[in-house]
Amino acid sequence: MTSRRRSWFVVVALASVIAVAAVDARQQGSAEPYTPPRTPDGRPNIQGIYNPVGTFYNIEDLEYQSLYQNFKPNPAARGRSLVVDPPDGKIPYQPWAAEKRKPIYQLHLDPTPEWVDPNAHCWPQGVPRHVNNREFEIFQPPGYVVIFNLAHHTYRVIPVDGSPHIPENIKLWQGDSRGRWDGNTLVVDVANNNDQTWFDVMASFHSDAMRITERFTPVSPDRIEYRAVITDPKVYTRPWTFAIHFNRNKESGLEVWEEACVEANQKNIELLKRPGR
Amino acid sequence: MIARAVCVLLAAAVFVVPAVPVPAQTSPIRRMADGKPDLSGIWQAATTANWNLLPHAAEKDVPAGLGVVEGNEIPYHPWAAAQQRENFANRATADPETKCFLPGVPRIMYMPYPFQIFQTPGHVAMVFEYVHAVRRIYMNTPHPEGPIEWWMGDSRGRWDGDTLVVDVVHFTNQTWFDRTGHFHSEGLHVIERYSPIGPNHIQYEATIEDPKVFTQPWKISFPLYRRMEKGLRVLEYECYAFGLERTWYKPPESP
Repeated sequence: MTSRRRSWFVVVALASVIAVAAVDARQQGSAEPYTPPRTPDGRPNIQGIYNPVGTFYNIEDLEYQSLYQNFKPNPAARGRSLVVDPPDGKIPYQPWAAEKRKPIYQLHLDPTPEWVDPNAHCWPQGVPRHVNNREFEIFQPPGYVVIFNLAHHTYRVIPVDGSPHIPENIKLWQGDSRGRWDGNTLVVDVANNNDQTWFDVMASFHSDAMRITERFTPVSPDRIEYRAVITDPKVYTRPWTFAIHFNRNKESGLEVWEEACVEANQKNIELLKRPGR
Repeated sequence: MIARAVCVLLAAAVFVVPAVPVPAQTSPIRRMADGKPDLSGIWQAATTANWNLLPHAAEKDVPAGLGVVEGNEIPYHPWAAAQQRENFANRATADPETKCFLPGVPRIMYMPYPFQIFQTPGHVAMVFEYVHAVRRIYMNTPHPEGPIEWWMGDSRGRWDGDTLVVDVVHFTNQTWFDRTGHFHSEGLHVIERYSPIGPNHIQYEATIEDPKVFTQPWKISFPLYRRMEKGLRVLEYECYAFGLERTWYKPPESP
């Protein structure tokens, strides 16, 4: 892990704690609803570069975020979850699925190859993880919303034109997204997901029956609230909801530059070659 | 009143358009509201340049092709010509494509996969099916100061009449132009010209400069074709994931 990357995780860990407090405070008051400016074709304009405020180490327990920094848990964040439904903050795995992923709690710091985070392989991150990892840009050419990631140079094209999903048997790392505007909220239905991505480092898996409904709601010029309702009857007992927010990155002249991943990732290859593994 | 006038105009158009058959070659190009050519859509080259930029006969699993290089010759320095021959001999493992790396520019433009162009007045973005490569073409802005080594380079665009001109620098020396070992150094400089020649065709031209490797600039050109299939979208070719997938979901075994 580069020092640059590690320092970013420090920032996110702090921001996560602050963010949870901020959400609590905001829910007390009733602010005027924010109306974003419009694109030339009359859609809400949410373009820009954003930083997600979340964690992808363990979305069910922010305590784990500090593992990225000093390999020690952080009791101050214990129990805080990005899962807002069910109320206990836990992903509602079916019993067999909960059992299957149990070894990750022993292995996550030093995983055997089959327990290596798919992100460490530089594979496309999938939904919702690709909007929960470092800077990304929202671009709105006519008829589309396009998301460009810094990490892994992944992208996602969201047609906002009423078109149907592709045939069901085609499974994709980034899924097949179709969007619509509900007032100022972008609502995206994500189908055709493959079964290869996790939500975090903790073997939080899903099947290729996963379906996601996302809501991107701009609540101020510089902040988008994001919710993803995740349904997968093969792995979970009920739909569950993942919630984070994105802060506009106001660094002047910022561009989302290339960050090649697999091209430079010798660590990944070493991991797979370790003797006895 | 305005609505009525529009209706009349539309009605007139319905009668006029079929009465004036327009040959495909001279049909007008698509334009943005600001009058600039509209290059948005899903495109693909139909050349065999990814196998070999130069004219070549067919081999097993290699389609024949007339080549895309102007003058059918790449002006290598002598040492570089020798390097290309060595690359060719080792191509089965040395071609960066065999490692699934980002293919660079211009190679990504003639990989045999579709790509999509998105365009607003200030920006052009390209997303590619092959290894989810992305090109961001920032308009009328300078390159960031180097040295920077990026697999896909840094692209800066401007309009020259109806032609989008893209200047690309800041490359690595790790990418090749094709499967026969044609190569460049990190000093590669590519000047691309995207000239729409109808609503569904763009003539693509790239001037390639790299004084360390070539004695003079040289050019490639070929058309990009709009993919016309209904409901088409750019899918995924995640080259380096094939064979490494792990299926987590297995139905619980029934007792």
